[in-house]
Amino acid sequence: MFGFGWLKNFASPSELRKAGVLGMNRRNFSVISKCNNRRLYPLVDDKVQTKMLAQKVGITTPNLIGVVEVQNQVKNLLEIVKNYKEFVIKPAHGSGGKGVLVIKSYTETEFVTASGRVLTFSEVYQHISNILSGLYSLGGQYDVALIEELVHFSPIFSEYSYQGVPDVRVIVYKGYPAMSMMRLSTKASGGRANLHQGAVGVGLNIRNGKSLKGVMWNRPIAVHPDTHADLSTLEVPFWREHLLIAAKGYEMTGLGYLGADIVLDEFKGPMMLELNARPGLAIQIANGRGIADILKRIEKSYPKNLTPEERVDFVLKYGGM
Amino acid sequence: MLKKFTSVRFILTIGLLLSVAFAAYSIYYKVRYWGFDFAPKKSTAVWTIEAQINFIPNGEPIKVSLATPKVSKEYKILDEDAVAEGYEISKDTKENRIVLTSGPRTEKQQLYYRILLFDNEDGRGKIPAPVPSNPEKPIFDEQRLAVAKELLELSQKQQGNVPQQVIRLLNQNPPDATVLAFLPMKKSQKDIAEAITNLLALKNVPTRMVRGIKLEENKKSFTPDLMIEAYTEGRWTLYDLKTGKKGLPENFVIIQRGGDSLLDIEGGDDSSIKYSVLKSISSSFNLAQHRAKLANQKTWFDYSIYSLPLAEQNTLKWLMIFPLAILIIVLMRNVVGVQTMGTFTPMLISMALVKTGFWPGLVCFSFIIFIGLLIRALLSRLNLLLVPRISAVVIVVILLMQMLTVFGYQLKIDIASSAVFFPIIITAWIIERASITWEEDGAMNASKEIIFSLLVAVITYFVICNDYIRHIMFAFNELNLVILFIVMLLGTYTGYRLTELKRFSPLAKKG
Repeated sequence: MFGFGWLKNFASPSELRKAGVLGMNRRNFSVISKCNNRRLYPLVDDKVQTKMLAQKVGITTPNLIGVVEVQNQVKNLLEIVKNYKEFVIKPAHGSGGKGVLVIKSYTETEFVTASGRVLTFSEVYQHISNILSGLYSLGGQYDVALIEELVHFSPIFSEYSYQGVPDVRVIVYKGYPAMSMMRLSTKASGGRANLHQGAVGVGLNIRNGKSLKGVMWNRPIAVHPDTHADLSTLEVPFWREHLLIAAKGYEMTGLGYLGADIVLDEFKGPMMLELNARPGLAIQIANGRGIADILKRIEKSYPKNLTPEERVDFVLKYGGM
Repeated sequence: MLKKFTSVRFILTIGLLLSVAFAAYSIYYKVRYWGFDFAPKKSTAVWTIEAQINFIPNGEPIKVSLATPKVSKEYKILDEDAVAEGYEISKDTKENRIVLTSGPRTEKQQLYYRILLFDNEDGRGKIPAPVPSNPEKPIFDEQRLAVAKELLELSQKQQGNVPQQVIRLLNQNPPDATVLAFLPMKKSQKDIAEAITNLLALKNVPTRMVRGIKLEENKKSFTPDLMIEAYTEGRWTLYDLKTGKKGLPENFVIIQRGGDSLLDIEGGDDSSIKYSVLKSISSSFNLAQHRAKLANQKTWFDYSIYSLPLAEQNTLKWLMIFPLAILIIVLMRNVVGVQTMGTFTPMLISMALVKTGFWPGLVCFSFIIFIGLLIRALLSRLNLLLVPRISAVVIVVILLMQMLTVFGYQLKIDIASSAVFFPIIITAWIIERASITWEEDGAMNASKEIIFSLLVAVITYFVICNDYIRHIMFAFNELNLVILFIVMLLGTYTGYRLTELKRFSPLAKKG
């Protein structure tokens, strides 16, 4: 109690260096500021732009039903969604799932959300107004609301997730998928897929999409805390397609270091949800290894000037080394 | 990638070395020629009193006559000068006044008079004073005279000698009904002094008013204090107007005695006079100018901050400590890895703590944040839009501060009245940010962020409040250049943060 036992919770810098752990300072100074031109950030911070770019390079994203840009368009909501039975409303500049409203069914006066809550038209109207006024956007600046088709996430994952949509995060460095993990929402994370909020992270083998290990709150975990599903048997199907979407993010945005969030739709296969120019470092813990070594190897010895397909094939063969 | 950033580091390292060399030389120079000290010395304090005179000329020739400190006893004059361009300066040593004359002028005039005093420890002599004649009796109507007599009667029940008895009676709390009949409810220092003079005159005790300055560090823009001197037992003795305490208070400099005015101006209207006092950063600061003069290095001194008017020096003394506070914030964030709310918020909180005092400020701040969070939680139910919601929080913070100040005053709790020193917008912003973190990441994370911000603020507070550090950062301000390069070098620090050693510890490779 009064000794230095608590020091055991700390690693020495040399131990972390040996493990190739990338720290926040080095990520900011040597990776992000070197690879990611600030000018390119709006491409990924604005989901409307990201979607347009994705369509150009042939990446599947949830279909855009419409965009509400100004307050007096809000009342046209029913007109916009008239051909759809269900839809999702989200802020264009949101992050971490904030402000996302999933409507499963609706009538002219009532809307039913994914969790079964019944909202009146004026409540939905208010939600869109909040999005427009910047309630969920990064700097609080005015925003627009996207109305998208609903993703029907593949039932293979349903036993691994408590509410929320499980997604795959792939870190892409100079176009090469470097590290990946699956993020599963839990009761503790409130149905969100953010690791710092208590979601489960499952590191995935970059060559085949099979589970490496699971972590929650930075500690190893074998089964999902709510569904008790065995995390070690998790395997992401259509792995090559997942990696291809991530790899194309490089051509699409020009960002040398990015995080791609990909969901698996039951009918349409893997889809890109969003891209992130400042992906976090928790993925290293989920993978049980540092990412710095992998980045260095990609920089030094991976072939240059390949097409996205060639890069993905290279990673499927030699990735993670 | 690697080469590029070593070169940045290389340039910055050279910059750092150059700034260290410059600072070292500059410190040597200041110590050698200006006689600066590394420690803030208290024993041989040098005080600079500065009077700022403002007036508007009325077209006539100008003559300004200002009472100057009498320094025969505890304090010696080191130097005095007046900053008054184009004025003819003369000294009236007999009356202890400085006289500035000039032809008619048109613009608003601002003149400075500055005097440097230092403790004269062996000067404990007495001022020889002629025996004063009996004082003139005040002209009172019958009714007032009766009240005065009754007061004198009553005063005999008080302790001390005659002047003390009178002073104590007048200051009694709650005041006696008779005192209320004699003095206005809201009595100024001057009212009390006049009442004492009149009452003592009835008893044939000669008195005179004394104006002086209590030497305290960093006093800005104040008017002199009033005391009263009474001639009893064959000599003049000073009395405190409130307590009746005998004798010259510690660190008190008399500027003017008797009924003469502090400041006479001919050829000007709307005159005002404000004093500033600065205790020298070390005794050496004000000696420095003289040393610089002697060493023929005066030009450099004129272009240093120590030649500025006192009010500016006081402000700069305050500013010069901030680079160090900023360095602490950079270290805490990029080397330790503490997450605080906003980059410079902790620094602003620590600045406020300096003004409020440590514990009062901390208690008050926590109270505002706590109540603010409660009210913010209510606001979030109303589903307000962003800008109106933050604005509402700002208004709530203002109302809370107002409430605390009023209650604090009524209940005589000093703690509460310090609320006004907290930056309103920053406080509101902390509340907003904390409540959003609360909603999204839970109460744990929100309290963690608040506690870490306060922790950094407290560390910063103790650094900027340390007398030694303050002194050194002001006396040797070139150190700020060194800090600048350290901060920039930290901008290239790519090592692990202390908190990451814990966060990534599961990944550590032993051996």
